Amino acid sequence: MASAPSKQYSDDVSVVMVLLDTNPFFWSGANNTTKVSFSSFLNHVISFLNSVLLLNQLNQVVVIATGYNSCDYILDSSTSESINLSLGNGKMPALCSKMLQKLEEFLIRDEQLSRENLPTGITSSLLSGSLSLALCYIQKVLRSGRLHPNPRILCLQGSPDGPEQYVAVMNAIFSAQRSMVPIDSCIVGAQHSAFLQQASYITGGVYLKPPQLDGLFQYLSTVFATDLHSRSFLQLPKPVGVDFRASCFCHKNTIDMGYICSVCLSIFCQQRKKCSTSDTKRNSIEIYNHHLLPVAASG
Amino acid sequence: MPQVKIIAKNFMDMVAALPTLKLDKLYENTFICEAVLRSLPPLAKKYALQLLYIEEPVTAKSMEEWVLPDGFSKHRVAIDRLIQLRVFIENPDGFSRKKETSYKLNPRFQVNLQNYTAHGGVLPRESMSSSITVRLPTAEELDSYALEQWESFLLQLISSGQIEKTTTSFSPSMMRIFQQGLVSQRDREGPRLTESGFQFLLMDTNAQLWYIIREYIINSEDRGVDSADLISFLLELSFHATGQAYNTSTLDEVQRSAVKDLADLGLIKLQQGRKESWFIPTKLATNLSVSLSDSSSRKEGYVVVETNFRLYAYSTSKLHCEILRLFARIEYQLPNLIVGAITKESLYTAFENGISSEQIISFLQQNAHPRVCDRAAPSVPENVTEQIRLWESDLNRVEVTPANFYDEFPSKDVFEGACDYARDNGGLLWEDSKRMRLVVKAEIHTLMRDYLHRQK
Amino acid sequence: MASGQVVMRAMYKNNGVKDPGVQGVLIMTEDKLDFSPDDPMPSARLNVPFRSIKGHKFSKEGSQKQALLMLTQSDKSYTFEFDKYAERDICRDFVGKVLGKIQAKQSSKQEAKVDSEKPATTVHDEQLRPAEMELRMKLLAENSELQKLHKQFVIGGILTEAEFWATRKKLLAVDVSKISKQPLGFKSAMLADVRPLTDGRTNKVTFSLTPEIIQQIFTEKPAVHQAFLKFVPSKMTEKDFWTKYCRAEFLHRTKNAVAAAAEAAEDEELAVFLKQDHILASEARQKIRRVDPTLDMEADEGDDYIHLPDHGIFRDGSKEFTDSEYEQYKRTLAQDLNRHAAVVLEGRTLGMESGDTRTVAEALAKSKKAELATQMSDEKANHNRSERASRMAEIEDLQTPHNPPFAPLLIKDPREYFDSQQANALKALRDTAVGTRTVNCNVNTAQAYGSLRKSISEMKVTGLSVPVIEAEVARKVLIGLSQQLSSTKYNLGKNPQESILDRLPKKTKEELLHFWISIQELLKHFWSSYPITTTYLNTKVSRLKDAMADIYPKLQGIKESAQSDFRHQVSLLVQPMVQALDAAFTHYDADVQKRSMRS
Repeated sequence: MASAPSKQYSDDVSVVMVLLDTNPFFWSGANNTTKVSFSSFLNHVISFLNSVLLLNQLNQVVVIATGYNSCDYILDSSTSESINLSLGNGKMPALCSKMLQKLEEFLIRDEQLSRENLPTGITSSLLSGSLSLALCYIQKVLRSGRLHPNPRILCLQGSPDGPEQYVAVMNAIFSAQRSMVPIDSCIVGAQHSAFLQQASYITGGVYLKPPQLDGLFQYLSTVFATDLHSRSFLQLPKPVGVDFRASCFCHKNTIDMGYICSVCLSIFCQQRKKCSTSDTKRNSIEIYNHHLLPVAASG
Repeated sequence: MPQVKIIAKNFMDMVAALPTLKLDKLYENTFICEAVLRSLPPLAKKYALQLLYIEEPVTAKSMEEWVLPDGFSKHRVAIDRLIQLRVFIENPDGFSRKKETSYKLNPRFQVNLQNYTAHGGVLPRESMSSSITVRLPTAEELDSYALEQWESFLLQLISSGQIEKTTTSFSPSMMRIFQQGLVSQRDREGPRLTESGFQFLLMDTNAQLWYIIREYIINSEDRGVDSADLISFLLELSFHATGQAYNTSTLDEVQRSAVKDLADLGLIKLQQGRKESWFIPTKLATNLSVSLSDSSSRKEGYVVVETNFRLYAYSTSKLHCEILRLFARIEYQLPNLIVGAITKESLYTAFENGISSEQIISFLQQNAHPRVCDRAAPSVPENVTEQIRLWESDLNRVEVTPANFYDEFPSKDVFEGACDYARDNGGLLWEDSKRMRLVVKAEIHTLMRDYLHRQK
Repeated sequence: MASGQVVMRAMYKNNGVKDPGVQGVLIMTEDKLDFSPDDPMPSARLNVPFRSIKGHKFSKEGSQKQALLMLTQSDKSYTFEFDKYAERDICRDFVGKVLGKIQAKQSSKQEAKVDSEKPATTVHDEQLRPAEMELRMKLLAENSELQKLHKQFVIGGILTEAEFWATRKKLLAVDVSKISKQPLGFKSAMLADVRPLTDGRTNKVTFSLTPEIIQQIFTEKPAVHQAFLKFVPSKMTEKDFWTKYCRAEFLHRTKNAVAAAAEAAEDEELAVFLKQDHILASEARQKIRRVDPTLDMEADEGDDYIHLPDHGIFRDGSKEFTDSEYEQYKRTLAQDLNRHAAVVLEGRTLGMESGDTRTVAEALAKSKKAELATQMSDEKANHNRSERASRMAEIEDLQTPHNPPFAPLLIKDPREYFDSQQANALKALRDTAVGTRTVNCNVNTAQAYGSLRKSISEMKVTGLSVPVIEAEVARKVLIGLSQQLSSTKYNLGKNPQESILDRLPKKTKEELLHFWISIQELLKHFWSSYPITTTYLNTKVSRLKDAMADIYPKLQGIKESAQSDFRHQVSLLVQPMVQALDAAFTHYDADVQKRSMRS
């Protein structure tokens, strides 16, 4: 007989944080690279949200828009305002029209934040920000009430990774790992995302890049709608193995042995006087050797 | 909460037991589909969802691809449930010719849920528009109303006669149906709670509710009401918004009579307007389908048990007091506090009434005061739980097993053969090899007899 | 070398340490050592070339030991004793240097010969304390993994004992701290054991005191100790002193406070024993001052049961009525008990065997003084007492947090982390479009946002398209996913949580793990030897390389011997090991080539 009741519901009650990539440069420039338009993407996502809500009355979905300059919550099924608008306006269910309304407002705000000049190079969306928002929300959920649902995060990402966000994203990933929140990733863009690949690998989530985007809903409902309870009985698409070898910061070569800065952990293939990443003096640069990592890494 | 699960499962079994035609007819209602889906085990829900847009049958083998070795039993349970409830249709349209089992979603179910995923959840009927200025009860008022109704119903149930009868309009015959099995009417002694009656009292509200509702539905046929209609209305009711008023004129005849009964149970509150009458679902009603899956919301507890066997219950409810009296000695009753002690004597009366120690312990644990729950220590002190179990096992020192006695064996060999035979069948209780006597459980007596005949 | 020669007086011990030795002068030059005895005795005269010396040992600096230096030849050893350690150390250092030089010369001569290992090991072998040796043995005995490695590499001659342990200093250090000998404490039995023995017939009472008991009396009763130092032997003999003490004890025992007071008035020495111990009292006052000022000692006074009837100890003084004038001649059992307990807990401060009473008393006095000195500094601390009290009373929450100072991490460009990661990550995904895919956006900001907003407002008008997904597409996707799953299932095993290692036969698994650990050990030594600055390192590296080359074919062997269904997995596991070894070999070859080019 269990003496102390767990703080978690016993089975499949979940709160799903959906991070929606709303990077305009991806969606408008994307027409040549991806097969799915923003509206049909939204169509699939809204159906997915509804089906999550259908599965359990206590289920909860929160949608966060990942914009180019900012990110924000655009839907929270737990707040009463999204429910009690009884039947909506005929064509559109309440939940959905509410979300579209918020999304539109968000895009206007996001646009106002952008600088005048055209973005150059990689136009990534603010993934680190929305991951952090999601984790904050989850912390709030975990700390409230006697029982809380099982949280998980689903990233619907299309834009390429933003290198300048690396540290922030990795911190978010580790924080998710610590609070045992899996990060699922569904890539709707043309390229794989190294960020999300790591995120899903580290947190034990599912990483998937659907080859057939017009069937997005099927992927979402078959793979990503699976609650954490059922995941222990099911085989889901396995995350691809991650290569643990490092590549040096100076030439981007994959190396087995190199020099590592003990302050910022930057790796170099040659010994140098000063760490180029953190300006640390050479004496704190130590030898990195991939082969001296424990065997577990290769198992 | 295992009890809710069992009773709720029983309820869904009742649904599953409906004839195919009736069941398919039920699935025409989106809310039934929704409620049925939510009552399924998590894995089954997932299976239903992944076949939502698939029209071709899917082979059982391809579904098994997804299952890990550890999950096969769960997989089986899920599939069985889906088929029982006719959510999955096995081998549709002569597909069985291929000798391979395959499944397909029930088309009505499928269409309804497809609509749901596209449009989201909607309410079964339009609530009272805000233009009508009728004062609606606040959430707190509604909650306390529901609780009051339910408790007075329960009090009436367990002690029919004493309590003011005016609160409920259930006919005495109806009441007697509910009391069946819970209360025994012996001679002129007055009603007495039976074993299951005591156990019933220790269940939590949702489980009690399901029990009563099941009785209500089972007996509906006698009243000339189709049970499928009633089930569908009850499930539908749980999708209404708590605290909103709905026009009674939208209900049909069967539903209108059911509404009155449900109001007595505290599931809904009736409100009479100037021209029209309204009904307002309470939390009890909207929680109904939630508790169909076992993740029911728990209510706040009120009991604190100390290591010295004293018991403090922060409650004003008469019912709570009655329930605690089942196994504890109530010492004081203050305006918002009941003070009692768990004693050997009080427990012995409970055990005599057929309540088990586990039931008492789980009642105490489930109703533990939130302050106690938040502590790291067990919500009920371990010395108390242990002592309760010990006192119960004290009563069970002597175990009675029906048995048969054999003696006068013709030879030692026959005796020993008989002993071995009894032992192999797990029925040997006692043997005396000197005088060749043997005691064997009664259940294998026929086997023994056959064996001994063969020996001759 | 600063001086090419060392001249030192020494004693030559021909027949080992026990030999009384011959006094003489030891002259050491770079190539030989010369000993000429004061007494011209031909047998003691030495003239040994350093070339024949294999190694040297020396005694550790310690109180009882002689300052010894021992030079070993292949068959013989020479032991010298010096007057002082400093002199010995000069010689020792000189010998060490000379031997090192000779070794270097020799090994450079026999570059090609591999058998130069043996002398090299001895040079770096330090003389071990037996305790350290014991510790190492213990570690090996406790850790079978370590033992295996030790057996394989040290006994197999690939690593030297010192090299092996050099990488495990932490292991040794941790345990060294643990082995401190437990000092013997006082018996916890009370002094009351010094029972007077009466024979019954006469009025004679006998006390028997042992040195042990005397030491305990001294520590427990500082006043007696002080009196002893003051009176013995100047004023009275030791025997008289103890007789007086015993008389006082006897008076106590009879609890005759009045008689005690009377006797004390007559004899001032006896009074010392009978009065309350003023040293103790002042000590107690000091101790109370050192108690945490926030602790209210009076707060729980009412909690005891002594004031209740039938509780407490009857011998307690409070139950016996006495006049206050005799108060000072009265000792309570509680006092004795407390004092005794304090002494036992303090432990025996003297490390010496109890011998002569006088020396015990003096030694005790010395240690007391040292204690007092520390207490003096305590006194100073008492000045801060009020300050401390106020600090203790402060509420933690209201204070600014004491954060340790930190240097903020300055990252110039986090992009670098990403770039170095991405290359690998995408390689693993076999993404062909790596790098070249900066999306060339030829839309401006307004257009981009505009088109997005347009599609949203369109959606608002038209609503959701129903159905979301074509049945045919849905089926295809599901089948695709199922197929993907079934294909990965058989490649990677049924249960993804299970690691490959767990599915291998136990023997293979253990073998693999052992190989991996051995390789790691060798690699650790191998890489830490670079850059090669001495010939010693050179020989070490070549030794390690050979050892690794030995393992290499074994890895191939395990790969081939694996059963067919595991072969793939085993080779996956072996692959990184082979890679690691290959990397080491390449490095070794490149390094050898580089150095040969330079020379």
